[in-house]
Amino acid sequence: MNVTIQEQDSNMIAILEGSLDTAAAAETEKAMSPLYDVKGKDIIIDCTDLEYISSAGLRIFLGILHNAGEKGGHVYIKGINDKVRAIFTITGFSNIFEFM
Amino acid sequence: MKKIIAYIRRKLSVRVSLWVVFFAAIIFIAALGFLFYQARETVRQEAVSRATQILDKTSLRVDSILNRVEVASTMTKWLVERHPDKSDSMFVYSRSMLENNPDFYNCSIAFEPYYFKDRGLYCSAYTKFIGDTIRTIQGGSENYQYFFTDWYLMPKLLGRPCWTEPYMDLDVATNTSEMVTSYCIAITDKKGQMIGVINTSLSLNWLSQTISSIKPYPHSYSIMIGRGGTYFVHPDTTKITRQTIFTQTLEQPDTALTALGYAMQHGEEGMKQMSINGEDCYVFYKPLGKTGCSMAIVCPESDIFSGFDRLRRTIMTIVIVGLLLMLYFFIRIITRELQPLRRLAKEAETIASGQFDAELPDFQRIDEIGQLSQSFGNMQQSLVKYIEELKETTAQKASIESDLRIASGIQMGMLPKKFPTRDDRDDVQLFASLTPAKEVGGDLFDFYFRDEKLFFCIGDVSGKGVPASLFMAVTRSTFRTVSVHESMPDRIVTTMNKTIADMNKTFMFVTLFVGVLDLPTGRLRYCNAGHDAPLLVGAGVGELPCDSNIPVGFRPEWKFSLQETQIFTGTTIFLFTDGLTEAMDANKTLFQMKRVNDVASRALANQQQEPHQLIAQMTEAVHLFVGNAEQSDDLTMMAIQYIRQQSDVQMRKSIVLPNDTQEVPRLNAFVEEVCQTVGFDEIVTMQIKVAVEEAVVNVMKYAYLPGQRSDVTIEAASNDMRLKFTIIDSGKPFDPTVQAAVDTTLSAKERKIGGLGIHIMRQNMDSINYERMDNLNVLTLRKKIIH
Repeated sequence: MNVTIQEQDSNMIAILEGSLDTAAAAETEKAMSPLYDVKGKDIIIDCTDLEYISSAGLRIFLGILHNAGEKGGHVYIKGINDKVRAIFTITGFSNIFEFM
Repeated sequence: MKKIIAYIRRKLSVRVSLWVVFFAAIIFIAALGFLFYQARETVRQEAVSRATQILDKTSLRVDSILNRVEVASTMTKWLVERHPDKSDSMFVYSRSMLENNPDFYNCSIAFEPYYFKDRGLYCSAYTKFIGDTIRTIQGGSENYQYFFTDWYLMPKLLGRPCWTEPYMDLDVATNTSEMVTSYCIAITDKKGQMIGVINTSLSLNWLSQTISSIKPYPHSYSIMIGRGGTYFVHPDTTKITRQTIFTQTLEQPDTALTALGYAMQHGEEGMKQMSINGEDCYVFYKPLGKTGCSMAIVCPESDIFSGFDRLRRTIMTIVIVGLLLMLYFFIRIITRELQPLRRLAKEAETIASGQFDAELPDFQRIDEIGQLSQSFGNMQQSLVKYIEELKETTAQKASIESDLRIASGIQMGMLPKKFPTRDDRDDVQLFASLTPAKEVGGDLFDFYFRDEKLFFCIGDVSGKGVPASLFMAVTRSTFRTVSVHESMPDRIVTTMNKTIADMNKTFMFVTLFVGVLDLPTGRLRYCNAGHDAPLLVGAGVGELPCDSNIPVGFRPEWKFSLQETQIFTGTTIFLFTDGLTEAMDANKTLFQMKRVNDVASRALANQQQEPHQLIAQMTEAVHLFVGNAEQSDDLTMMAIQYIRQQSDVQMRKSIVLPNDTQEVPRLNAFVEEVCQTVGFDEIVTMQIKVAVEEAVVNVMKYAYLPGQRSDVTIEAASNDMRLKFTIIDSGKPFDPTVQAAVDTTLSAKERKIGGLGIHIMRQNMDSINYERMDNLNVLTLRKKIIH
């Protein structure tokens, strides 16, 4: 599980690669912690190479969304594949995230 | 007669009048009876005294005539004895006798034969009236030798003057005869030698007329008898001198007449009451001086009392006519007085026919009829008021009935309508029926599937009708609410009991049987709260052993016990309420458990134990038994048949992992491998992976105490229908299937982190099932294989 955080055009971009399962969740959360402090910027989570996500992973996504929301920012999800989108759909997360 | 009685019963006026007249008549009868008796007594006494007086007077008169005869005879005797030698003088004396006493019949001064030599053998100066003239002739002749007659011989033989018995005096000259009685007195010369007899006769006819003329009453008559009882005076002239008073008694013994005869013969005086010729008579009798005769006055009672009888008849006529008039006028008066009542009765009829506004007559009276009329008016007003109220009540009742129908509809709507059959499911089929005794009932049944479990219950609320139905609705919704979060029947019932008992102020209760059938295994867990034990219809027919516990609803602290059994494929669980066993026929005989068993056994023998067949047969048996009797209680039946056939296992794999979330990648690899073996595509594989991960991570995180090391076993098995993952751990009992599902429709702000796991499991798998078996948590996830 690889996490890359970039700043680009006043947006924060997080690029996720691999499987975000329960085992990887703690490490991923730590890696994505800079995103919790973002202020006045939109966050783009690039899921193009995300193979798998469990509920632990979804919890991290939800945490970021809550934080951004409090600070007036948007969270966009980019390049999600069909398998992972199915999980988003089942859990209703597809209703609360914005997709690019 | 019947008609008359019916008429009298119908007519108050006639009845009252009859009573009044009846009593008046009784009083009249008593008063008049006494009066008549007294009057009659007085009349009788008056008659006696009157008759006695008349008799005395008559007797005196006769006596005076007789005395005159005697005196005249004695005077003449004196004259004759002064001049016994002058035969011509005798004719003068004889003549003067009649001249002085015109009422005498004749007079003879007769002498011994040859007393006057110049006269020859016979010398009798015989004087008699011929019409009004007095004729004096020589009485003796060859044809009439007087000195041999009674009247001549008697004074001669007796030596004293005497009265003869009446005899027939024959007048030779005119050849007429007459009944006479004579006073005879002897004439003596100076030496005392008898020289002749003076005979003075009285006509008996004249005497009889004198006596007969005494008529105190129009039909009274007199009789006179001589010494021998011979009639001398009698209204029937043929009897005179020919019959005695005793003649009649010879033919017809008559003691009264005989006694009268003797009394008169003996010269007694008195009064006798007797029947003569069939007529009641009073007879007054008295002797007639020296003649030895006795006279009697016979007065018919009818004569004596004729005046009295007339008076009585008149009074009776007046009384009867008076009473009849009284009856008539009473009837008229009472009828007139009761006229208003008739009008009231007519108005009452009008009101009774439904016209409550009929106007009542105002009689302006203050008597009882006026009061009645007033009361009637009040009653009419009250009636109008009550009818109004009744209308309102009826309308309310209709409204309630309508409400009840709607309530019944709602209640029936609560019950499951769709029953799974063989066509719908391959593990269980079910059928149920509920027939309420009233519009709304207190029985309930419910079932639903959650994960791979069948939750079902049957219950019977105490009582019937609306309260029971409300209680039933509460029970049913509590069952649904509680069983969503709880899979153990004992805990479901315990929680339901606590919830219901806390809000139950009416002390109603419900007997309840709650079962949870684990469909993959056929394991039945159940809790019985005072309900009838269900029947198991499978290899045989038998009751499911049940703890009795207590019914639900009144002891919130009660801990209900759990029971378990294995249901084998093909077995039907038959549940029912006591409406079945206590169904009554017209003779109040109960259907009873034995008949239920019999029907179930028969159904089993005929291989008819499928739910709808079993219930149909039971229903038919009950209807046949009950017949036309009214259904006494709600009747509810539910039959559940377990039909799962175990398929051949085609693949079986397993992995054991320590309770460490870092082992998840191994798990995911295992799941992916299994999915590829079965042949699921990438997306389905992904879904299964996420679901299994959630289930296993749950165990790893929460089943054990922090720091406690243990294992989680994941078994994968498949047949040609399904892929099954079984996650087994020895941690604390935990049923993830009863955790609240997340609401996926909430916005980001409202969404809570966590709780997603169970949701993902449910969404991604076809079924999820938790079982606690042998102190192990056994969670089963299944996914259908689509070929």
